[in-house]
Formats: sequence, C-alpha cells, structure tokens
Amino acid sequence: MRPFRSIALLVAAVPALALAQGAAPAQPPSAPAGSSGPDTTAPASPSPAEPPERSRTQRDAPAVPQTAPESPAVAPARPPEDDDAEGTPAQAPEAPASTGPTSGTAPASAPGDAPVLDSGEAPRTTDAQQQRLVNGAPLYNPNVNVHIVQKKRFADEGKHELVLYPGVVQVNGKFTNHVGTALHYVYHLQENFALQVGGQYNWYSDESDFNLELIDKVREQAQAASSLLLQWGAHAGVEVTPLYGKFAFFNNSLAQFSLVLSGGAGVGKTRHLIRPEVANEVEGQTYQVPARFGDTGNKFLGEVGGGFRVQFGESYAIRLEVRDLIYTARVDKVDGCNLADFESLEAARAANQPFEGLNLSGSCKVAKFDGVDPETKKNYREDIILGRDLVAEPSSDVLNNVSFYAGFSVLF
Amino acid sequence: MNARTLRVFAALCISLTALGAAAQEDGVLESAVVRNRLYKPAGHPELSLSVGLPVQTHLTAHYFFDVGLAYNLFDTFALEARAGYAASRHTGLARSISESFLDREDKRVTDELEDLWQMNLHGVIGARWAPIYGKISLVADIPVHFQTYLWAGGGFGNLKRESVIQCTQVVDRAAGVCDNRTAVDDRGSATENYWVKESRVAPVVSAALGFRFFIQEKHGVRLELRDWIFKDSYRVNLLRDEWEAGNPTGEPAGSPGLTHLVQFDLGYTYSF
Repeated sequence: MRPFRSIALLVAAVPALALAQGAAPAQPPSAPAGSSGPDTTAPASPSPAEPPERSRTQRDAPAVPQTAPESPAVAPARPPEDDDAEGTPAQAPEAPASTGPTSGTAPASAPGDAPVLDSGEAPRTTDAQQQRLVNGAPLYNPNVNVHIVQKKRFADEGKHELVLYPGVVQVNGKFTNHVGTALHYVYHLQENFALQVGGQYNWYSDESDFNLELIDKVREQAQAASSLLLQWGAHAGVEVTPLYGKFAFFNNSLAQFSLVLSGGAGVGKTRHLIRPEVANEVEGQTYQVPARFGDTGNKFLGEVGGGFRVQFGESYAIRLEVRDLIYTARVDKVDGCNLADFESLEAARAANQPFEGLNLSGSCKVAKFDGVDPETKKNYREDIILGRDLVAEPSSDVLNNVSFYAGFSVLF
Repeated sequence: MNARTLRVFAALCISLTALGAAAQEDGVLESAVVRNRLYKPAGHPELSLSVGLPVQTHLTAHYFFDVGLAYNLFDTFALEARAGYAASRHTGLARSISESFLDREDKRVTDELEDLWQMNLHGVIGARWAPIYGKISLVADIPVHFQTYLWAGGGFGNLKRESVIQCTQVVDRAAGVCDNRTAVDDRGSATENYWVKESRVAPVVSAALGFRFFIQEKHGVRLELRDWIFKDSYRVNLLRDEWEAGNPTGEPAGSPGLTHLVQFDLGYTYSF
C-alpha cells in the first residue's frame, strides 16, 4: 500500500499548501518546524486572535482539511519544493486542527530545508515592517531563515556528461583566427566538483586579416611565436560549479543553470603559416596555390574557463562557456628544420643543386621543401626563404587563445 | 523510473497543477515560474553610470565613460539614452608601425590602415529587452536577482583619426620621429606631431548583451558586452612623395567596411 500512502500524503499536502499561500501570511512560520516553545506555535485556526496582517491582506482563513490524512502530524509540515524560500515559510503556520496552540506537538520530522525559527529566546516579532510579506514570504522577519533558491531539481553527483561543442570560435584573435569543434567528457564526482577530459580540433586556423593587412600595407607582421596556430589540443582537468540558480524566460518557462569554472592541462599541436594563398602563373596558365603551413611541434597546453550550463530536464543541458587555451610558443624550427638547415637548403637552391647529401639535422623534413606540386606547378623550393624568415629570429611568447564554446550535453 | 515513482510523480504533478491554479486564482501567486519576483522595474526611470574597457585592441584602445537615463515601460522592456566620452589612444603596436614605416622607403605606394578611427563624444538611444529574470544562490542565503538583456540602438559619435602612415614633415626618418620632440628618445616632450589628422561626426550603432544584478530595491550592477559600430573610412593608393610634401593624396576606399569597438562595461544603476 505504499503507493497509496504516498499519494495520500501528497493529497493531504495540497490543501495545506494552498492554505499557506493564501492565508495567514503574518504568522510566524514556527509551528511545524519548530518544537521550539510556546511562542513558536501557530494558532490552530482562524480565531479572534487573528493577527493584523490577516485583515490587511483581506484573505479568508483557510479551511482545515476535513479528512485527516494517515499521518496528519507530518503532512502539513511538509514544505513545498517548488520554489524558493520566499514561498516556503508561509506554508508552515498551518498546523493541523488537532494541534493546539500550546500543545507542542509539532512534528519532529521536519524536512531539513524547512524554515526554522531560532529556538529559545528568539522573540516572536510584532514589528509591522518585519512582518511584511514579500509575495508571501516573510523576507524581513529576522527570526525566519529564508532559503534563497529551491533545491536543485536535478542532482549531478555520480553522473557522466558528454558535451559536444560544435562551434568553438576564437574571440581574441589579433593575429590568428581559429574555429573548431570540441568534445568533452565530464564525470561529476560530487555535486559541485567534476573531472573532465576533452579534445578540440580547429578545422580552421589561419592568420587574421589584420596580420595580412599589416604585411600588405606596411610590411610588418607579428612575430612567428605570436601568430602560432593551434591545430588541435587535448587536456584533462577539473570543473567546479560554485553557484547555481534559475531563470524564467518571459515568465513562461523555467530553466536551471550553474556557473561552471574549469581548469586543466594537456598538449596541443601547433603550426605556422609559411605562405598565404597565392596565384601561380606557369606558361600563361594561372593556378591557385593554397596556403602552406609548417609544423612547429607539440606544445604544453593550459586551460582555464568559465561559463553557464543551463539544464533542461534530467538528461540534457546547454553550455555556453569561454575558455582560454594557454600555450607557450617558441619557434626555432619549422617542419623540423632549424636556421642552419634553411641556410644549407637556400644555398643549395641558389646553386640549383640537389638536396641529397646536405648536412641537415635529423628532424628536418627536407622533402617538404623540394619538388614541384603536380597540380599547381608550385615549386616548393621557393618556400625555403619564407621558412628561414620564420626562424631567423627565434621568438617566444605565451599565447592566449580565448574562444567561445557553444555546445550541448547529455547526462547519464 | 519504476511504476511506483511514476505514480507518485503523476500525483505530484496533478496536485501541484491544481495548487498553482488555485493559488493564481487567489492572486497569491504570480504567473511567473520564478515566483516572488522581487524587483519590478516597470514604470520606473533609472540612472546609470558605466565604465567600458576594451576587450581586444588592435591599433586603437578606448575607455568609455557613460551616463544613461532609462525608462522602464515594462518589466522586460525599457528605452534608454546613453551619452559619454571615450578616452582613446593609439596602441603600442600602432606607434611601432608608425615609427618603422617612416624608414621603409621601398614602400612608395600604399593604403591607409583600417580601423584607425577613434571615438570620443558619443550619444545613442536604444531599447533594452530583458526577457530573462532569474536568481542565484551566491553564498549561503544571500539572494541575488538578475535580468539578462539585449540592448540595441543608434546615435552619433564624434570621430577623429590620426594616420600612422602619412607623416607630412619627417623629422628623423631613421628614428621614426614625426613630431617636435626636443630629444629623439623623449617622446613625451613633443607638443605637436605631423601625422595626417581627420575628424568627422558619424552615425553609430550600438548593441549589447548584459546582466543586471539587483541590489536592494533601487540599486543595481550591470555587466555588459557592448559593441560600438560605425562605418570606417580611409584612403587608398597613397603616394609617399605626395604625403611627405604635405599634399593630399589617394582616393577614398570603395568599401571600407565597419569598425567595431567591443567593450566590457561595468555599470551602476539607480532606480527611482
């Protein structure tokens, strides 16, 4: 019969809840939660001792339920869980009819989040300002502990969360632009603490129009380390949710959200633009040669971020975050070739000699700077001088790649 | 979710639905899902002060100081007039370019750089739409109510432009000096420079996404991401010989595009 008992409890709670919201707002919310003493018990029903607030609000006294539930001492004390604090205390004063003003038989099993009046010497306020209700809640009553936000409707602890960010757009691109997609997995160890691992692939990473404008108009450009491009990154870290809240959109729909802060570390693969897209004219025919990038190696990656997670139901959420991927950049090799390698290659190119037999470092990918592209007829040897320029003055920088992450997640 | 839970859940839904309807009929509950909406700005004028810092700087940096006067037609909609002054300057990158380009004589023909206009005095009128009202538990039992809003409007701004390319009187080409400084390495001693300057008044459009946090009944704090947008204007096909002789050169760019000044605004609001 447990289902019927549960339903009976709910049914019993309904009138009490309605009564509490509709009437007796000025009564101190002490009776049910309290067991504090004579002063903390509420009147059982409308009486000549009706407090002044009652007449001010012009509400009739609530009707006491005619049929007592199976557990009458408990049911009326059950606070509603539908909203914040401002609503909760007002429900408390309605003690069951069988509970006399001084009976002291208030239920002992008050929920943990029920408003509580300070025990002992806490006086029952008679000050009109303190008794003033704000939308049914005694916000100004110093004796009432008003909860601010309702219980979280959805618990995170122990849940797994898979987050897909289809669009990751860099927002601080002075010399670079990045657009990519990220996938994160989050395990919520506790309600406010989670572990996360994630990866990101930037399917567009190029130098910014601003940098190209500088090259074109004033023959200046960012140092190689300042315009390093991030191809992909992977990191692991933690995520905390220090606060949560709720909001209404146009007063029609409710959503719960959390502020999420994250931090982690990992590794990322970088590259640098060697040559932008150009037109190559060969024997009267023009070929469009795509931009060429040089590998600048893997770099240590740090990650910090923050944003909002708006939850819809138990299993779905939308995430809007800003994350900063921080990576150290020192550019002294491009495609594995250092300055000495480029000098040797350039000397051989100028003399129109083959590259075989040159004394190059083991990491130098010489094939990338030799030969002719069969489609665009572009001679790769022409890029040697551009690669040399990148490493001629080894540069270093700490780059902040701040991006806006918009994604959705599934919790399970 | 087993059968028992489902039944309890169904009963709860029915109960709460009936409860809510009854309470709303009684006028106790608002129709809002976030009940007890403490702050209702409708019908109230408000005064605001704000400071804006640049989110990203390229060649110019702006620091906005604004005063706003708004009237809330509804809880979710307001009209606002904003006016103020933006302190602006060239960035270090712009100065570096200007100094090095003086000595780059191999570049005899070039175009002016984009997005070099600096906005100073400005005023806009706009609408603020705040469809989202929420609350957060900041720490323990401190209530924080907020609105999230979109802002859009337009007005005019006073713009000025100082070239980093066209110097009409080169003082020291190698050192990149184009002003009357008393010592080559003492930029602060200059009282006048010889870069080409322009000014104009232009239409400005502004849009923002922001949060407004209520503090008690009359006070509020605003955090905004605001974009100031105006049409760019610059000249192309400039001849070095002409500009260094002090003569106008080049022609206006055909499609100069738009300049965006993206700011992070921190503001205070007093509601009357």
